[in-house]
Amino acid sequence: MTAKTAARAALVAALAAIWAVAAYLLWRSSVPSSLRLPQVSVHQLFPAAQLHAASSFGRFTTLDWALATLTQLVVFGLYAWRGARLTRESAAGPIGTGMLLGMIGFALVWVSQLPFGFLSLWWERRHHLTHVGYVTYAFGNWAALAGQFVFLCLTLLIVMGFSRLIGGWWWLPGALVFVGLATLSAFVTPYLLSTHRLQDAQLLAQARVLERTEHVQHTPIVVQAVHDVTALPNAEATGLGPSRRVVLWDTLLDGRFTDRELRVVIAHELGHLESQHIWKDVGWYTLFAFPGAFIVALVTRRRGGMGMPEAVPLALLAIVVLDLLALPLQNAITRHMEAEADWRALQATHDPAAATALFKRFVTTTLDEPDPSTLEYLLLENHPTIAQRIAMAEAWRAYEKSAP
Amino acid sequence: MTQSMDAHPVRLVIEDDLRRTRLTVFFRPLLAIPHIIWLFLWTLLTVLFAIATWAATLVTGRPPAWLHRYMCAYVRYQVHLSSYIALAANPYPPFNGEEGEYPIDVALPGPEAQSRRKTLVRIFLAIPALALSAAFSGSGGVRFSYGSHRAAGTYSGGGPLLTACAILGWFASLVRGRMPKGLRDAGAYGIGYGAQVLAYLLFVTDRYPNSDPTAMLEGVERPPEHPVRLVGDAHDLRRSRITVFFRLLLALPHLIWLVLWAIPALFAAIANWFVTLFRGTPAGPLHRFLSRFVRYQLHVYAFVYLAANPFPAFGGREGTYPLDLVLPPPGRQNRWKTGFRIVLVIPAAIVNSALGSGLFVAAVLTWFAALVKGAAPWGLRNLMAYALRYQAQVNAYGFLLTDVYPHASPLEGAAAPEPDAFDYSV
Repeated sequence: MTAKTAARAALVAALAAIWAVAAYLLWRSSVPSSLRLPQVSVHQLFPAAQLHAASSFGRFTTLDWALATLTQLVVFGLYAWRGARLTRESAAGPIGTGMLLGMIGFALVWVSQLPFGFLSLWWERRHHLTHVGYVTYAFGNWAALAGQFVFLCLTLLIVMGFSRLIGGWWWLPGALVFVGLATLSAFVTPYLLSTHRLQDAQLLAQARVLERTEHVQHTPIVVQAVHDVTALPNAEATGLGPSRRVVLWDTLLDGRFTDRELRVVIAHELGHLESQHIWKDVGWYTLFAFPGAFIVALVTRRRGGMGMPEAVPLALLAIVVLDLLALPLQNAITRHMEAEADWRALQATHDPAAATALFKRFVTTTLDEPDPSTLEYLLLENHPTIAQRIAMAEAWRAYEKSAP
Repeated sequence: MTQSMDAHPVRLVIEDDLRRTRLTVFFRPLLAIPHIIWLFLWTLLTVLFAIATWAATLVTGRPPAWLHRYMCAYVRYQVHLSSYIALAANPYPPFNGEEGEYPIDVALPGPEAQSRRKTLVRIFLAIPALALSAAFSGSGGVRFSYGSHRAAGTYSGGGPLLTACAILGWFASLVRGRMPKGLRDAGAYGIGYGAQVLAYLLFVTDRYPNSDPTAMLEGVERPPEHPVRLVGDAHDLRRSRITVFFRLLLALPHLIWLVLWAIPALFAAIANWFVTLFRGTPAGPLHRFLSRFVRYQLHVYAFVYLAANPFPAFGGREGTYPLDLVLPPPGRQNRWKTGFRIVLVIPAAIVNSALGSGLFVAAVLTWFAALVKGAAPWGLRNLMAYALRYQAQVNAYGFLLTDVYPHASPLEGAAAPEPDAFDYSV
């Protein structure tokens, strides 16, 4: 082993150690490590008809996702193979041509995903989970699509610009810029949502109490009107510093959920803020961005590096594959954070019965499978399963009883 | 060139000397009333005869001679009347559509054999040409009225280009006693294309209308060379289907960049206005900056509207795009013209806006054609080049890059083209 190789190995080991330490710090949770979730039987909790409906809904959704993902891989694979030929369609210099190739790749994937999107929409409409029309689905979202294209161009401008400036080391400043952009996006996103203040005075008063309990005073609780497009209930904690807030979809407030259940929802979202999950999101993004960018730099070397437009189709394929490979890990991370928010909610509300009722109601309102297969769990579930969440409520009850 | 040598059987014949009688110009819309009533009645009969011609052509493979003569007279009368109303010609037109009696006339073919298949579906095949005609000249004979149950044939009153030329020409003719050549040529082009569409629709010929402005005005004297003109490979008609399909999405970064660039360009133009007003010559750096902006705008629009194929560069540099723009160096400019530039540019902006609707329709049609054939139709490409050139001339005038007024004629300036050179307007 030469000194250079040894130095390289030592550097890699040091970087891996730093990564592991950072991951450990980000993984830390307020959920007691001694907590063991009890086994819950979904067959005892839910009627067979409900389980069947959720299972049938989930099977189709999973199949649609699998086919869509496979198609995406095939399209990106073919594009990585043949797409470089499209450089002749540009007079825009290397970076402009790279943008063109990136946009064409995205456009092809968008078209290839449309049939699966229509299938998914059809399925959700059939189950009364959405009110979006087919034409609106295809043509009503141009602004979002345009936004994606613009973001892609900006990304390629940064990556290719750095690559042409400093060569193979572009991934270092490139990843740093993307982390900056991710932080900025996390900060700005709440301001881009169209929301209004929560009007329900009683719920608002309860929210104020929860804010104090969870040490996140003066967090605005706002409502986003989505009932025109979906019947699914949802809420989110979003923003950083002064922009942080809890957003409730108005589908939560349409009478299907009791005030006690809504209290759990708000406590859960405040729990995210109390646990600094948005910052942790940025942290995890950072941990994935650097090695991800490095791998892309490595893969595209054979096409002359990211400074060359010919490398762009291959880079897109690499990113999609990496994203797919990282999906189970990313899901595990978000599940971990969601579990912590559930725990915080239980600690704040002391109402495991309401939490259990809320989670049970999700099965009828979202058709979520209470206990999906392992593969679905690994690839598609970014929240703990309904069964796990109910088990968490049970575990909290036992934990409280055993506490001195 | 193959495309331009293969002349269309419906040819516009222009013998107009641009002189206008102020008195008849002033009252022209009123004077045209009897003609409009007559045309309305004639059109009603023509709709019935068109159905008869369609059936006869379908059976015998050629239109009956007497019906053909009737249709020719009708098409010619439309040309005469449109020319009169739009001030493309001066004398009061005859009511019978006789050949050779009017300064703006149309030469029409005899009753030739026609493809039965094309005849069968003629009304559908004509839709793209009708759309283009409506966007430019508005003529084409048949207007489907909404709000009532009739789908009657009637004089359609002129599309944006013809209307703009007529209104601006009205003022100019009243003042000068002459119709500006650019407006006359542009109006004549619209009328000529409308005549080709009508002839196609009424089974005078089965040759599809040719939107190439240069071919339409063949034989018409070219205007003087404008300092702002297009260069590039006119025969590069190849279009990449994939970039054509996603063209609007692909153009997004350019459109955003164009908007961002427009902000400093506006301030630079204001600064340039002051400099030019006091010095009589634009400031070199401002002139260069604005020249690149105007050129970049042309590149982007040429890409968006499918007048050119490749994805353009972001810098607006000369010689980087197949459809490029020659702009003059900073030169002496008339201070009066500079001082009132913002007012003076208004008529040109009106014509530009009128051309814009045609440009849009031409781009949509090119989009479909290019997806099928992988190439832009020659006529549409040249039409778009004309509209883009005029737009660039308006921009250059507005941004004080030149004080030469934009020339609305579809014909490129008179400088003799070198063989195989970059003159687009072959």
